[in-house]
Amino acid sequence: MAQYDFKKITVVPTGNDLIDIVLSRTQRQTPTVIHKGNAISRVRQFYMRKVKFTETNFTDKLSKTIEDFPRVEDIHPFYGDLLHVLYNKDHYKLALGQLNTARNLIKRIREDYVKLLKYGDSLYRCKSLKRAALGRMCTVTKRIGPSLAYLEHVRQHMARLPSINTGAPTILICGCPNVGKSSFLNKITRADVEVQPYAFTTKSLFVGHTDYKYLRYQVIDTPGLLDRPLEDRNIIEMCSVTALVNLHAAILFFLDLSGSCGYSISQQAALFHSIKMMFRNNPVLIVCNKTDLQTLEGLSGEDLKLVMEMKSAALKTIPGQGGEAANDQDVLLTMSTITDEGVMAVKNAACQRLLDQRSERKMKSKKMPTVLNRFHVAMPKPRDQKERPVCIPQAVLEARAEEAAHEERKTEKDIENENGGAGVYSASLRKHYILADDDWKLDILPEFLDGHNVYDFIDPDILQRVEELEREETAVEEDGGDFEMEDEDFTAEAEKDLQEIRKRKKLLIQKHRIKKSTAESRPTVPRKFDKDRKFTTERMGRQLSSLGIDPSRAIERARSRSVSRKGRKRERSVGGDGEDVMEIDGGLDNKKKLRLRSRSMSVLSQRPLGEVVPGEGFKDSAQKMKAVTMARNATKKRNKDARRGEADRVIPTLRPKHLFSGKRSIGKTDRR
Amino acid sequence: MPQGDYIELHRKRHGYRLDHFERKRKKEAREVHKHSERAQKSLGIKGKMIAKKNYKEKVQMKRTLKMHEESSSRRKVDDEVQEGAVPAYLLDRETTTRAKILSNTIKQKRKEKAGKWEVPLPKVRPVAEDEMFKVLRSGKRKTKQWKRMVTKATFVGPGFTRKPPKYERFIRPSGLRFTKAHVTHPELKCTFNLEIIGVKKNPNGPMYTSLGVMTKGTIIEVNVSELGLVTPGGKVVWGKYAQVTNNPENDGCINAVLLV
Repeated sequence: MAQYDFKKITVVPTGNDLIDIVLSRTQRQTPTVIHKGNAISRVRQFYMRKVKFTETNFTDKLSKTIEDFPRVEDIHPFYGDLLHVLYNKDHYKLALGQLNTARNLIKRIREDYVKLLKYGDSLYRCKSLKRAALGRMCTVTKRIGPSLAYLEHVRQHMARLPSINTGAPTILICGCPNVGKSSFLNKITRADVEVQPYAFTTKSLFVGHTDYKYLRYQVIDTPGLLDRPLEDRNIIEMCSVTALVNLHAAILFFLDLSGSCGYSISQQAALFHSIKMMFRNNPVLIVCNKTDLQTLEGLSGEDLKLVMEMKSAALKTIPGQGGEAANDQDVLLTMSTITDEGVMAVKNAACQRLLDQRSERKMKSKKMPTVLNRFHVAMPKPRDQKERPVCIPQAVLEARAEEAAHEERKTEKDIENENGGAGVYSASLRKHYILADDDWKLDILPEFLDGHNVYDFIDPDILQRVEELEREETAVEEDGGDFEMEDEDFTAEAEKDLQEIRKRKKLLIQKHRIKKSTAESRPTVPRKFDKDRKFTTERMGRQLSSLGIDPSRAIERARSRSVSRKGRKRERSVGGDGEDVMEIDGGLDNKKKLRLRSRSMSVLSQRPLGEVVPGEGFKDSAQKMKAVTMARNATKKRNKDARRGEADRVIPTLRPKHLFSGKRSIGKTDRR
Repeated sequence: MPQGDYIELHRKRHGYRLDHFERKRKKEAREVHKHSERAQKSLGIKGKMIAKKNYKEKVQMKRTLKMHEESSSRRKVDDEVQEGAVPAYLLDRETTTRAKILSNTIKQKRKEKAGKWEVPLPKVRPVAEDEMFKVLRSGKRKTKQWKRMVTKATFVGPGFTRKPPKYERFIRPSGLRFTKAHVTHPELKCTFNLEIIGVKKNPNGPMYTSLGVMTKGTIIEVNVSELGLVTPGGKVVWGKYAQVTNNPENDGCINAVLLV
């Protein structure tokens, strides 16, 4: 009772493709170099390996295909018959047989040529023999090309067959074309089958699933059957015949009372009688569809008689195997798929009949007693004759009654439908806004102002901020006002001094800030990049003296602690490279360098670090801090390498000598 | 449409993407460039195979184009001279016909007597003895070198039994013994797998003929009862000569051409 999976069959390559695959594999995965001067045994081995390898690959690929394809005898007869109907069992078997013969031929070729290779006494001879062997194997494969193409075609079709579980409870829908089978399937399952007014819309089996009493039922829709002898049936009809014969299922025979399908009731009855022997022990239900066009009671006398005959025939097909109709009503049912009346009743009746039959069968099977022994349903013995009905408190009953009487709330969807539908009416989302003043609900907010997005600046505490700002400004103004008042008293000289002082002060502040920054966030320019040789003791001396300090001791110390590349002797001459201290260039002419090294400092933004500014895109302070930390961590590594940023990928020395030179005491140096 | 054809079903219900056709067209147009890039960039054996395939296509295309061109050009019309046409100055003379018809069998008997055949390969490369035989050392100290092993394809008859190993000088290994040959009929142009009856003549010498060695150019006799040939006298022909056209030791099979 397996669920067959035909999708797992590996793709069958075409003849030429198979040859290409195997030969390129041989070329890649066996050694390729052999010389005339090598020992003859090595030469022989080299070529024998190629022949064997090629044969193994061919055999593997062909065996995989042969084994993947199902054997028609070994699978469930339903699938066996279906495969026969769709692909012609003989052709299928022949194709697989050809693959098998090809496999054997290739094996034999390999044996013969390996034997011959043993007598090969020159490279040329062995090579020609290998070439002949591979060539023959490829010719064999080329010959089975059409079989491979056929099998690939079959595989593609088989993979798309609906997966029918032959052991699960199944309901089979059959009848004349255009009767309403597919629409019924669409109604009770989620299968989206095409329903069209022309006959033979359904050209193969379709499967849907439905639930009944916590069990999953398979519903199979078949193509319509015509009243013909079995030999005349085409492939499409044979599919449904296969399903009828081989599957154990509840059979719903659909009858079109109105005759709008193009077949009169007598024709449909004839069809029924001709296929009724295929029903065997399966529970049969006769379903009269399209009652909206023609009811069962409104039928003419002969038609009604035909229908009753069918019903009695259906009753007869359930001799004693279980699944007997509880009453007459269960065999003949009416419904209409357009108006939906009776559809659920039909489904329930069919499912119930099938369930009964399956449970009876299970009870009668040999396994049941072993299982039944383990069950015991304990029924408490009644101790007296008092009746104890269900007890529901009064309040609950009242609440239930109230709810039932309560009208349904009008939903937005209802309003939409009233006002013209989905495209016409657009729901007003503002209706339910919660605002301080309800009059503001319908106000229109501007979106742009002065080139900025207004929404970027909307802030719940915006009023608070405005107040703060105003306070600050007044404070600054007052200070500025003080200065400005005293400004008139200053002379030009004093003015200049003032500027000087201010400059100095700014510099000091900057210097302080730089000093404050930690080593890891400050980029360090390593000595080796000091190509311009700007960091000299002379410069240090100059700057120290400009500050008013005696530089000689500092210079001594620096020079004594450092070792120049060219040796100490050089140092006595014109100031060499003795520093390893980075100097900050004073003065604003090296603004660029400063900016490289220091953090960008804007005096105005004096906010605390973790404060969330609307417009930056952070959810809360924690997220912002995390972002700041991440940024810092990223720049740390870069700064250590003295890289200016992410895009700075300068390699100062492309081929450092210590990596590219030298001998090894042991081993080879052909890779470094 | 079967239930499993999701793609077609979706297409039927929802149609194609809005840019589907444009994308398809552009993709196909790009294929040409991709093909050329692949052909230029592939290295090694893959590149060679692509080049070979492209060359074949090119040749095919050139041929078709030439064929199309042919029909549009004009050609001089040759007046064909019919067989047996006689120039004007020879008319009115009685032509004599030779009435003697010799049958094929007699002709063949004559040729056999002369020892000459009309063969497809009149000349073949001579095979030296050291190429033909491999020296096998024998004896307690492996000093005796009188044994030889044949390194070419051989034919031994069905009733063949080896001489006692101590005395056999020429060893014909069973791996190199062949019983069947692929024989091509020169007129029918089809090949049959026929049994060998015997080796008739090896051009390298009578010793090789007696050993049954088959090299290129050897005349062998094959069993042609499969072909169903009949002599004019009504007898069934079951053996015919064929000449070996390949080097069997290099190819592992014997290819021969029937001598008609």
